[in-house]
This record gives sequence, structure tokens and C-alpha cells, in this order.
Amino acid sequence: MLHPLTLIVVLPLLGFVLNGGFGNRLGNRFVTVVGCGLPIVSFLLTIKCFLDLQAGGAPLIEAAYTWASIGGRTFDISLYFDRLSAVMALIVTGVGSVIHVYSTGYMHDDKSYPRFFAYLNLFLFFMLTLVLGRSLLVLFVGWEGVGLASYLLIGFWFEDPVNARAGKKAFVTNRIGDAGFLLGMFLLYWAFGTLDMDKINAAFAHGPVTIVSASLAGILLFIGATGKSAQIPLHVWLPDAMAGPTPVSALIHAATMVTAGVYLVARMSGLYLQAPEASAVITVIGAATALFAATIALVQTDIKKVLAYSTVSQLGFMFVALGVGAYGVGIFHVYTHAFFKACLFLGAGSVIHALSGEQDIRKMGGLARRIPITFWTFAIATAAIAGIPPLAGFWSKDEILWNAFASSSGGSTALWAVMAATALMTAFYMFRLLWLVFLTPSRMEPEAEHHVHESPLSMTGVLMILAVLSALGGFVSLPHFLEPLLPMAKTPEALHHYEMPLLILSVAIAAAGLIGAWLIFGKGLERANGLAARFASVHRLLFNKYFVDEIYERFLGAPLTWISDTVFLRFGDRFLLDGTLNGMARLAQRTAGALSRVQAGSLHRYAFFVLVGSIACVVWSFRHG
Amino acid sequence: MEALLQNLDTLLVYVFGVAALVAGALMIVLRHPMQVAMALISAMVFLGGVYGLLGVHFIAAFQVLIYVGAVMVFMVYAIMLLDVRDKSYTQRFSRFLVLGIAGAVIFVGVLVYGFAHGQHASARASVSFGLQQFASAFLNEYWLHFELTSVLLVAAVVAAMAVIRGSKRHG
Amino acid sequence: MDKLQFLVFVSVALFALGLLGVIVRRNLLVMLMCMELMLNGVNLSLVSFAQQTGTASGAVLVFLIFVVAAAEIAVAIPIVLLLVRRKRTLETDAYSDLKG
Repeated sequence: MLHPLTLIVVLPLLGFVLNGGFGNRLGNRFVTVVGCGLPIVSFLLTIKCFLDLQAGGAPLIEAAYTWASIGGRTFDISLYFDRLSAVMALIVTGVGSVIHVYSTGYMHDDKSYPRFFAYLNLFLFFMLTLVLGRSLLVLFVGWEGVGLASYLLIGFWFEDPVNARAGKKAFVTNRIGDAGFLLGMFLLYWAFGTLDMDKINAAFAHGPVTIVSASLAGILLFIGATGKSAQIPLHVWLPDAMAGPTPVSALIHAATMVTAGVYLVARMSGLYLQAPEASAVITVIGAATALFAATIALVQTDIKKVLAYSTVSQLGFMFVALGVGAYGVGIFHVYTHAFFKACLFLGAGSVIHALSGEQDIRKMGGLARRIPITFWTFAIATAAIAGIPPLAGFWSKDEILWNAFASSSGGSTALWAVMAATALMTAFYMFRLLWLVFLTPSRMEPEAEHHVHESPLSMTGVLMILAVLSALGGFVSLPHFLEPLLPMAKTPEALHHYEMPLLILSVAIAAAGLIGAWLIFGKGLERANGLAARFASVHRLLFNKYFVDEIYERFLGAPLTWISDTVFLRFGDRFLLDGTLNGMARLAQRTAGALSRVQAGSLHRYAFFVLVGSIACVVWSFRHG
Repeated sequence: MEALLQNLDTLLVYVFGVAALVAGALMIVLRHPMQVAMALISAMVFLGGVYGLLGVHFIAAFQVLIYVGAVMVFMVYAIMLLDVRDKSYTQRFSRFLVLGIAGAVIFVGVLVYGFAHGQHASARASVSFGLQQFASAFLNEYWLHFELTSVLLVAAVVAAMAVIRGSKRHG
Repeated sequence: MDKLQFLVFVSVALFALGLLGVIVRRNLLVMLMCMELMLNGVNLSLVSFAQQTGTASGAVLVFLIFVVAAAEIAVAIPIVLLLVRRKRTLETDAYSDLKG
């Protein structure tokens, strides 16, 4: 009997094999049962393991397999189940399972239904490997695997080259981060001779380590995290990744995979506690990303793009929490974010489904009455992300703001101000979305309006579950639950009397965002268009995402293309290699051509050559004999 | 008388040698292959005479028996079988006539020049060797070569048969 | 010029005449016979040198050359027969199918 931990990981893989191998032959009903059933079993097993963990206290460790044994060193595939991985595994399997169920409705008419579930199962397998792996190596396997699954799912509708290109962009951008991750891994292995994360953390437990620069290793690992979690400067892939089916955006690009970077940093908290410089870098990058992505989200018109930039921004929030030492709070936000962002994406999917594929919010409006369940769940999730108490997002966001203000390792008023501004914008753009999609008078195309319909129960049911979790999830005090593992950030006693005013302030911020959105977008687009016209240059800058893609294209893409094309292709490949080979071939051909004229087919000539040769031999032998 | 006989031997060697040369030269110019064959046969017989005069009688005998008796008879048969009056009959020489003659003259010239100017071993009085030395040399020192020639002959027989067989299959 | 030198000269001349015949004559059979003449020239030189040195080795080689000549003719004549059957001519320039 396999250990339940191993089963948790292996069941989705089994689903991948069954759906990928036989899905097309055995029909969609089989795919549905396998594709949804196995993740749900995984989820139940995770709950069982979680209960075991609560009963026993000590982390569950399962050495599944010895991967390689080199000299005296072995690389094990071990699974490690402590409170942190338990929380992550519960999010992954739980949210993953409901999104699988949702997908049965959303993808119902797709011709590649089995392939979709095979990929989703594959993703779940790698994500669980990532979360449950004990060593950085196993984590890295999962890390790369989710990248692969993400690539496959972004380009799921690969007939359209735009989707395929978005998949490639995600994959290549992640490679840059992975290079940093690998270097960090090598550095840590060189220093400690092990990649097991609990052992590395233990090595850092007793103060600074002299053998290796913790900040260097920390920054290298964080570079990997910026790739996976779409932080500046590697954030460009995530908005494009919205080319994939909406459940994929919900599962991979909102709830789980993109939080892998947060998980990595939290998991290596022992190291980061001894790496103040790396933590400072994380704080700055996180804050910058949060602010930057929020400003872009203000003006985007594609419903999924708004949510994508919102995700980037929320990830920035999480990294700020990590940077100021509040690791538990960061994970808390991962947890609440998984609920409300998945709910938002799935709600967006439901809207898109209702409008037969329309994604432009300028062509929506008035949907609240037409698809009420979607509207109410979307509204709850919006309120949650905006930070309206007592919904889930309020608790985690408030904790982050408090730590950004008060933490003794990096917190400051300036940081709080940046994050508070971001939170204001978050509330604003989310309520803007709510109004434009659901509450303003309809701007739909008549054709699309005619077809509007509420989604099937498999989708609305999931939306309701997630909405409930978005509403109530915040009452679980995750930071305290994780405290034995991830210590709370120290906050000076002198600042504690600010806690209550700040809390009220953050509620006020959320309310301000709501009211602002209502004032501008409450009646429709006219007022907003007026504002956009007045601040045309700012609007253009934001609408074009600060031209980051164009800058990358100009200063990285174009030179690389030029080098590849001119140096490697034209000079290296075509001129040097092909030229050498063709030249040699031509030389051989010409020589052969010249020599073949000797083979004139005339016996007399050959005999004459014999005579000339004999004379030459005789003369030579006289000369040298 | 003895001296006369000795001189006669030497004289005959010269005569036969010159005759063989003349026959060889005739081979180049004669038109019909049969005439060429006759010239070749006479050249061989003259050479056989030279061998006999030099005292290697068994080689002289083989020269006549194998060359003239076997090889050339075979050749003559072939000539009679293939009495093709074609271009090679009316136009005897190839384009390389002048070049070939010049080359051959140079070749002879070079070799003769070499002989004339090289260090030659002192012309010893010919210590004649008999059949017995030849036979013992053959079977003591050169037995391997002897055996190899038998292999060569078998190969030649097989090859000749294969050529004919193969052509038959081709039709 | 003593006797043996003369014979060596004759052998060289015979070899050269044979080679010249192969070069200049157009008839396949004549060319074959000229090759025989070349072999005879070589034979003569071998016999002469054997006489000069007084060893039997040269004579042995002559003997071996006989065998080679016989084998050569045994293969060459059938080939010529086949060639003639194919192209009805003994003219060598007709056989240039392998021209490069």
C-alpha cells in the first residue's frame, strides 16, 4: 500500500495517463469521472494527512524513491508534509478540484475535452510535487513541470498563433528566472551538501552562516520566484497567459502556480531571515510590482487582463509581506487570494461563457439581472479582494499593510503608503469592473445579448462554493497556525497603538475605492472617457502597460534577433558552416570532375599513362637509387 | 673447333636476339591479327633459341611448349573465331602513335643510359645451373609461390567459367 | 657490348615494343598479344640476370610468369569474346562505356 502522501501526488499523474492515453477512446463521461474524481480523492487524502499531522504534530516525511546516488551523496525524492505544505496542498487540491468540476461545464463543447483534463491533471501532479517536495531538487522538478503544464494550457487552443506565442512567451520568460533558481540551488548545495529545505533552514537557525552569503543565495532563488510569480521585471508573461482557457487562468495563473514563488520564499524563510539584503530586494520588487500592475489594471478593457494585472499586483502584496518578514501573512494572502481570485476568474469565465466569447468590458453591462448567481458571487469576490470587512481579503490585506508599516525588518511609513495606494487602486479597479460588467446599462451587441444565459450548475455551484470561502476564509487565523514554522515579524511595542487606526483607515480605503468607482463608472463609460481624454498621455501609457513589452522587444528582442540572424544564422550557420561544407563538396566535385576527364574510356590513353609512369619510376630510381 | 663453336653460340645469341627484335617490331606494323600472331610466335621461338643457347634448356622447352603450344594456339583460335573486319583493321594506329613512339624511345633511352652509366656487376663467366638446382630452388625456397600459382590457375579457370556463364544468363 | 648486356638491351627493347603496341594498336587481340610480348621481354631479362648471377631464382620467376601468362590469356580471351558479342567490334575505342 502506498503511503497516502505519495498517493496524493501520484493520483493526478494517473489521471493524466488515463485521460491522455485513453480519453479520446473512452469518451467524455470517462474523462469527467477520472479527471475530476482523482483530484477529489487527492483532496480527501490531503485532509486525512492534515488530520494525521494535527494529531501527531511532527511533519510527515515519506522517502518515495532514491533518484540518484553519486559517491556518498544521494538525491532522494522525499515528500515532506508540515503545516506550510499542508496549507498549500489543501489549496492546490481543494481549489484544483472545484476548478476541475467547473471545467466540465466550461469546456463541455470543446473538441479536445480529454486533452484538457489530461493537462489539468498533469498540472496538479507537478504542483503537488512542488508543494510536497522535501528538497529543492524535487521542488524544482515540480517547478519546471508546472511551467510545462502552464505552457501546454496557455497554448491549449494552439490553432491560433497568438495563443501559441503567449505559451512560448511564458515558457521562455520563466527560463530566465529558472536560471537564477538553479544557480541558487547549486550555491546552497555547494555550501551545505544537501538540498533538503528543512536541513538548510536548520543550518540557518542559529544565526548567520559564514560559509555562504545568504543574501546571494536568497536573491538567486528570488530571481526564480520573480519568473514564476510574475514580478518585475519578468511579469510580462502573465497577462499574455490569459490566452488560455479561463479555468486555466483561474487555477494556474491566479490560485496556485503563480504563488509558487511565494511558497518558495516562505519555505526558505530560515535562509531569508538571515538575508536582510535579499529581503529588502523582495520588498522593493514586490511593492513596485504591486503598484505598477495596479495602475495598469485601472485602464485595461479586457476582463481577463484586468484580473491578470490584479493578480500580478496581489502577488506583489504577498512578496511585500515576505520581504518584511511576515511569512505567515504572505501565505495567508496566498490562501485568501486563491479563493477570491479563482472565484473572480471563474466568474469572468461564466460571463464570457454567457456572452459567447466576448471579453471586452466596454461591450458588457447590465448583466446583473441576466446572470444573477454569477453576479452575486463575483460581487462577493470583488468585495473580498477590495478589502471590505469581514470578507477574506480584508484580513490578509490588512495584515500585510500592518506589517508593511510596523515590521522591524523593513517596514516603514513610506512602504505602507505605497501599499495603501495600491489597495485603493485595487478597490477602484475591481469595482470599476463590477459596474461595467454587471451594473451599468447594457452596451452588448444585440446578437450576443440575445444569447445571454446563466451557466450550468457545475459552474455556478463552484462559484458559490468559492464565494462562500472568499467570504469566510479570512476567519481562519493562518499566520498563527503557521507560527511554529514561520515566525511572525517583530513589531515594535511603540507602534501597537497605531494598529486600530490603520485598520479603520484600510476599511476607509476600500470604501473610497468603491465610491470612486461608483462616481466615475456608475452611469457608464462617458465620464471615464472624458477623464481618459483629459489625461490622454497618462492613459496611453497605462493602457499600453508602460510599453514594457515594446521596450523589451526594442532593447532585448531586437538585438538578440539581430545577433541570431546576422551572427549565428547568416555568418555562422549559412556562411561559415554551410559555406565550409558546400565549399568542400564543391571542391571535391570539381576535383572529381577534373580527374574524371582522365577516365576518358580510352585504353590507349591508359596505356600511355603506364608508359609515362614507368619512365618516371625509372628516372626516379636512377636519381635516388 | 671448340673456340669456333663457342663463338658460333655467341653469334647465334646475337642473331636470335636481333631476330626477336625484328619480329617484335613487325608486330607493331602488321595489319592482320593473324600476321601479328605469327610474328609473336616467331619472336617467342627466337627467344626460346636464346634460352637454349644460354644453357637453360628447360626454360627454352617451356617457352615453346607453354607459350607457343598452349597460349598462342588459344590466341590463334580466338583470332580465327573473331575474324571481324572493322575499323581497327583499316585504321591500325590510335591517336597516340607519335606520342607512344616518342615515349617508347625515351623509355629505352633512359634504361640504356642507366645501364651504360650505372655500376654493373662484373660480367662473370656464366656459371650455368642445371635442372637440379632449379628444381631444388623451386621446391625448397619457392614452394609457397608455386602453390599460390596453382590457386591463381584455379581462380582463372573459375573466372573464365563465370564470365561465360554470366554472359549466358544475360542473354 | 658483351652478350649479357646485349640480351638485357633486347629485353628492354622488347618490353618497350610491347608497350608501344598496346598504346598504338587499335585491335583488342593485337593489344593482348603485345602484352605477351612485354612479358617475354621481362622473361628474357630475368633469364639473363639469372645467368649472370648463377642463381636459379630468376628461372623460378620465369616459370611463375608462364603460369601468370597462361592464366591471363585464359581469362582475357573469354572477355574479348563477350565484348565482341556485345558490340561486334574489336576496336577499343568502342568500349568506352565507363568514361568518366
